[in-house]
This record gives sequence, structure tokens and C-alpha cells, in this order.
Amino acid sequence: MTQVAFVAFWMAMALYAGATVLYGYQVATKRAALSAYATFATGAGFVLHTASIGLHSSATDGTLLTGANVLVLMGWALVLVYFVLEHLMKVKTYGAVLVPVALVVLLVAQVMGASRGVLADLSSDQAALVDNWRIGIHVALIAFANAGFAVSAVGSALYLVIERQLKHRKNTKLFNRLPSLAQTDRVARHGVIWAFPVYSAGLLLGVLRAVETDQQLWWADARVVFAGLVWLAFAAYQFMRWRKGWAGRSAAYLSLGGFVLVTILAVVARTVPAGFHVFGL
Amino acid sequence: MHLVVVGLSHKTAPVAIREKLTFPASVQRDALAQITAIEGVREAVIVSTCNRTEVYVVASSEDGGVDSVITFLAGYHDLDRHELARYLYVITGEAVVRHLFRVVASLDSMVVGEAQILGQVKEAYEHGFDADTTRRVFNKLFRQSFEVGKRVRTETAIGESAVSISYAAVELAKKVFDNLEGRTILILGAGKMSELTAKHLVCNGVARVLVANRTFERAEEMAGRFCGTAIPYEQLYEGLREADIVISSTAATEYVITKRDLAPVARSRTSPLFLIDIAVPRDIDPDVNDLGGVFLYDIDDLSGVVESNLEERMAEARRAEGIIDEEIDSFFGWVESMEVVPTVAAIRAKAEVIREMELEKAFKRLDLSERDRKTVEALTCAIVNKMLHGPTARLKKAATGRDGYEYMEVARALYGLEDSEDRSGPGAFRNLLNLKAREIVEKQKETGENVGDCGS
Repeated sequence: MTQVAFVAFWMAMALYAGATVLYGYQVATKRAALSAYATFATGAGFVLHTASIGLHSSATDGTLLTGANVLVLMGWALVLVYFVLEHLMKVKTYGAVLVPVALVVLLVAQVMGASRGVLADLSSDQAALVDNWRIGIHVALIAFANAGFAVSAVGSALYLVIERQLKHRKNTKLFNRLPSLAQTDRVARHGVIWAFPVYSAGLLLGVLRAVETDQQLWWADARVVFAGLVWLAFAAYQFMRWRKGWAGRSAAYLSLGGFVLVTILAVVARTVPAGFHVFGL
Repeated sequence: MHLVVVGLSHKTAPVAIREKLTFPASVQRDALAQITAIEGVREAVIVSTCNRTEVYVVASSEDGGVDSVITFLAGYHDLDRHELARYLYVITGEAVVRHLFRVVASLDSMVVGEAQILGQVKEAYEHGFDADTTRRVFNKLFRQSFEVGKRVRTETAIGESAVSISYAAVELAKKVFDNLEGRTILILGAGKMSELTAKHLVCNGVARVLVANRTFERAEEMAGRFCGTAIPYEQLYEGLREADIVISSTAATEYVITKRDLAPVARSRTSPLFLIDIAVPRDIDPDVNDLGGVFLYDIDDLSGVVESNLEERMAEARRAEGIIDEEIDSFFGWVESMEVVPTVAAIRAKAEVIREMELEKAFKRLDLSERDRKTVEALTCAIVNKMLHGPTARLKKAATGRDGYEYMEVARALYGLEDSEDRSGPGAFRNLLNLKAREIVEKQKETGENVGDCGS
């Protein structure tokens, strides 16, 4: 079963790669038929991706919450969130950016060793900490929230590109294919509007579990501190947008800054072994 | 069958001639009846727009067809034939198909990529169809041309970007705001160009129009035309706080909107401000473009957008030519299939396939000597040949008549030869037969043997 999961995973990645090419080509050439193929490839990849997670989980008696597996879950959440976005916006341009982001996340997971678990190395305290339904939900919520932040970052990046083109009056073919400035700003804003409460809930569950299991100095852990910074960045984003009427360029930079922190926390920090919040987790 | 088109367009004739040669909808039936009444003209369609008049005919001979159409055009409009001929172009044979496809794809239009021509040719075809002057060839050719038009519009970006200043302004506004519904525009000055641009913006959903002019009465006058509101010129910056789009075309010799005065307005806004300065000399300080959320386009910027859009259309036109090439091949594939020899050959080949299959089945069930087998084989050949001789001979004769293509079409439909490879499902067995038959035809062509002849 593990082998089938492995094959399904690589086939999903191949389909995402194909979809990336198709989405990109569709943006460049405006061929409607290609976008349908791109959506189909992404959908097929998503089905295989889901099957791979399920099969792998069955084969290992429950998914191990290793760093790599969490990244696989994040890639999955990102594709799911993209589908919702495509359904709501009826615009496929975002697929040309979000699907490759999901693909990169999966590749990073592969590099980190998607199938290797580290739970065996945990101390008894740590094992007790993670052996609870709250941790599963905590990880899932954080994965979905990160997908939302990624959507916001992509909207913000596109905003900056379009704004620059408008300011410099560059009327390129690519410019004509990109969505409007207002829409990218809306995508960036809504990405955070949905992701922030989910992230907050995810953090809260983690904190509750740490308190519940009486972890010493849990708040002083580097990864927990980083998660707090992410939360603060997006809290500031929300505050500035709602209270100070921030929009456009400043908001886009803040969203991108927040996403850089998310990336460091989700990928880079996992490679550094230290702290209460086991970095493999 | 000979395809002929005779016509004139903006490329060959001035408007003074074009306006004399129009065929409005009210006269089409009569004109089509007249032209198809001419000996040798089998089918006719007249395309008449403000930029072109073209008469498409299927004629029994090329020269006769051309001559008939020119005589008809001169006679119908009471023009001197020789004088008229100076402005006409004549296209015959396969080039007619390419020409029609290019016209419908808007590659031959004054503004390449304009969308109206497809509808105009459709209307022309409908007139011909209603007047019963289109038959098999034009029904296929024109319907396929509409597919070409649709493919070119959907598979290329030929009609995507604006090629006039006012539309370019609207497109840019949409690029900033996504959708103009509920937006507010401020018209500064009361020039014709700003009025035209405002009209396009209002047509695209702008909800509120503010007008500011040094002469308040003129502002009120223009505001009245858009059901808008005139504001005193001194309250310009208050108006800028409310507006999303500003169109400026005053006769002022100095900047009316400066960066210093606009900066506080820009800071107080939560949505972008799109400024269109179409005045010469300019009304808006170009430095305002440095302010966050403010986008300024002057007349040269808009002209640059139009120019690059036109270049893009030309690049897309080259892609459209590729689509046209594909469709031409497809059309001539159909034409070939409608010729009598391949049709008869296909019928015979299909009969031969069935004969062979049935023989094979029968031989499996019967234990026959070699001699008996040959006798049975000869018998089946004779039956097939005799059954087909009459229909194929009559088909060959009918093919030379006026309705030859219709006979051919019926024959192909009755024998199930129509587009068989593309079908699937219940007709799969028939498709196999057709494929096999086609193989036999190809083989016979290569070896030069008589198709379907059992050698009996």
C-alpha cells in the first residue's frame, strides 16, 4: 500500500507540473481549451494526492505528523483552496501561480523525506503531547491557514506587478492577460480574512495542549515565537486594513512579509533541530 | 463547381463608389433572385457592409461566373460596367474559400479584429438561405466560415484589446477597478473627446457623473446629458475625493491638478484614482503618478496603448492565418468527399468489405471444396456488382447536374459514409467498415486497380 501511495504521490506531482505548464500557456495564449485541461490535470492530481495521503495513512496506522507530511498536507490544502478560489472568481490566472507553489511545497516535502517519520525519536513527554486529537486539528488548521496566506501573497505579488505596469504604462501582452488591480487586492484581502481566524484557532489549540500537558517554557520555543510573529503580522494587516484603510501597495508588502515568515516557519525552521516544539513536527 | 467572388472594399474603392453598390436587407431577396436567374449561376450570397460589397457565387464555369456577376452588379445599380470594373476585385477557385475565411475572421477588415463582420456575413448568408439561393456548397462553406470566425475570436486575442483612444481608456479603467459598476467619474472641462470617453465609461456601468468646468453653465449642460451633477470649479478637489476616474480636457495652459494639491486627497482615499488627461497642453501634473494609488495616463500614453494593441492584433492575425489554413484543408477534404469518383469508390469498397466478411463467416460454417469456394465467391461478386451498377451509374450521371452535390450527399448518408471516423458508440462497427473501405480505396489508388471490382 505504501508503494501505491508513493506512485500516486508522484503521479499527482506530475499532473500538477503538467497543469502548471498548461495554466502558464493558457495565460500566455488565451486558449480557453487549455484552461479546461489545466483544471482537469489539477483535479486529477488532487484526487491522486488525496488518495496518496489516505493510502499512506492507512499503511502507517495514521499519518505521522512529520514535517514532510505536514508539508504534503499544506500542498493539498493549497490546491483545495485554489479550487474554491477558481470557482468563486472564475479566473484561472491564479492557477498559473498557486499550482506551482503547491508543487514546490510537495517537492520540498520530498526533499525532507515525505515518508520518514521522526516520532520514534520523541521523548515520552513529547509523545504524550502529540498523542491527542487537538494536535491533529491544530496541524490541519495551520495547514489551511498557510494555504490562505499563500493565496493572499500571490494576490499581493500580482497586485505589485500590475501596479508597476500601470505606473510605467507598460502595455504588454502579459499585462492584458493579468486580472485587474482591484481583483488582486480583493484576493489578497480575502485570503487573510479567512486564514487569520483559522490560524488563530490553530494556535489556540496548540497553546491549550501545551498548557494541558504542563510543558515547561513552551512559550520560549523559537518556533512558537515565530508563529506568534506570523500571527502579529497578519493581525497588523487586518488592523491596518480595517482601521486605517490600508489598501494597495502597503497592504501588499505586509501580506508578502507575513508570508515570508510563514515560509520560514513552515520550511526553514523544520530543518533546525531544537526546542519544545519538535522541529520535525 | 466553380467558386467566384466579385466585389469591392475599402481597400479598392472610395466611399463614393462603395455607397452606390450596397445591397440593404430590403433588396437582398430580389437581388439574389436576379443573380441566380442567370444561366450557369447555381448558388449566390451577397455580403454588403459599409466597407465592402461582395457577391459570392457557385457557377458552372469560372469565366462565365465572373462575367455574370459583373454584369449583374453594373445592371442592378445602373453603373457603367467598365467604370465599375476598375474598383472590383475578382477571386476564383480555392482562393475564394481563403478570402471568405479571412473576411469572417476580420483579417480583411479596416480595423483588424473588429467583431461586427461575423454578424454581417451571417446575416448575408441568412438572406441567401431564406431566398433559397444557397445549396450544399454555400451551406457548408458559410457555416464553416462562421466556425472559423468563432475559433479565431476564442483561440486568439485578435479582438481583445482596444484600438481607439476612448476604448483604451475604458479598458485601462477596468484594469484598475475590475468592473466599473457603481463607480464615479469626474469630467473636468467640457471637450468632445472627454464626453465621448465618458459616454463609453457610462455604457460600461459607471453610476455617477460629476462635471466641473470654469463656466458653470457648460458644466450643467454636460452633466444634464449624463444625468450627472455639475460642481463648482472651486470644489474640484472635493470632487476628486469622491471620484474614481477623472477625465480631463480643459483649455488651461497650466496644470489644473498638481501633485502638491492631490497628495492629501490621495492619502485620504482607500481606493485607486485613475486620471485620464486628454488635454494638450496637459491639465494634470505628470508627477501625480508617483502618488500611491494614483494612475495617470495622458494622450500619448493612451496612443501608445492603442499602438501596442494594434501590434498585438497583427501578431494574433498571423496566428489566425494558421487556423484558416487548417479550416481550408478541412473544407477541401469535404469537397473532395463530395466528388463522384471517391463517393462511388467508397460505396463499392464498403460493399466489398461486407462481401468479404460475410464470405469468411460462411466459409467457416461450410465445408467447401476449393472449386465450390470459387463459385460462391464469384456468385457474391456478381450480386454485389449487379446491385451497385445501376445506382452508381445513375449517381455519376446525376453528379453532372445542378443538384449533383445533393445526390452525392444523399448517397453518402444512405451508405453511411459521412464523417465516419469521428463517430463513436453504436456506430463503431460501421466505422470499422468505413475505415477498412477507406484503406481499400487508398490501396486501389496506389496500385491503380479498379475499386470494388471482384475480377469476375
